[in-house]
Amino acid sequence: MKLFKKMRGGLSCDDVMEVLQSYLDGETDTETARKVASHLDECTDCDLESSVYQNIRVSLSTNKAPIDPVVLDSLRQFGERVSRGEID
Amino acid sequence: MTERPTEVDSPAASADATEAFNRYVIPELEVMYRTARSLTRNQTDAEDLVQDTLLRAFRAIERFDGRYPRAWLLTIMRNANINRARKKRPDLLDDPDLTFERSVDFAETTGPEELVVDPTFDASVTDAFAELSTDFRQVVELVDLNGLAYQEAADILGVPVGTVMSRLHRARKRIRDHLAEHGLDSAAALPRGATR
Repeated sequence: MKLFKKMRGGLSCDDVMEVLQSYLDGETDTETARKVASHLDECTDCDLESSVYQNIRVSLSTNKAPIDPVVLDSLRQFGERVSRGEID
Repeated sequence: MTERPTEVDSPAASADATEAFNRYVIPELEVMYRTARSLTRNQTDAEDLVQDTLLRAFRAIERFDGRYPRAWLLTIMRNANINRARKKRPDLLDDPDLTFERSVDFAETTGPEELVVDPTFDASVTDAFAELSTDFRQVVELVDLNGLAYQEAADILGVPVGTVMSRLHRARKRIRDHLAEHGLDSAAALPRGATR
């Protein structure tokens, strides 16, 4: 149990944990994003937690299954034929 | 779908429709295909779903106001996917969410060659990802792998945006807990050097 809450950037650590993932996804409003960024600049624990989540996101996107360019090109050609009214 | 002869008797698409389609739809092809792959978990079905979506989009392009083309296309794709699933499995009529249940595992589509940085960390993330339930894995795929916004993922899944957020955050928390169980949470956080 935490004996006290560190207030940084107008937010406690619990507040930051509540919105951290949305913040990293760019899904918070500007004011919240500013407060979280300010807190992370001053709080080592939360900054480390933020780094873990960022690395998870980077790892997941790195593991993105590649798209076969031939498939994509084939779909593009199909789309172009649709746009010309050749397929309906 | 029907192929028209490209010769003289082919009624040409209107120039406006063709232009709008090329402007709003074609640039979204990769996102559409990645999303279709997440929904169908099968390359052939994904290609068919994209083609179906392209045809539906073209029929509707002249009514499209040009705002949020990705959201518009993903809604079309969602409906097309539900219709396709209903044709294959009429018993799923009352539960479209079940249409997304598929058995192919992420680990089967991701080769070791994709693990480019910090393989221990990445391998652990991949293991944890593969252990997620279908609902959780799907939102992670749509947001983290395919780059969709929360609202876009909600639209394609037909669930509230709060559901996407809840599933996504809990899924990542499970991955994070898996890393902690393997001693990779704090140690691995620093070397990669991801920036805010």
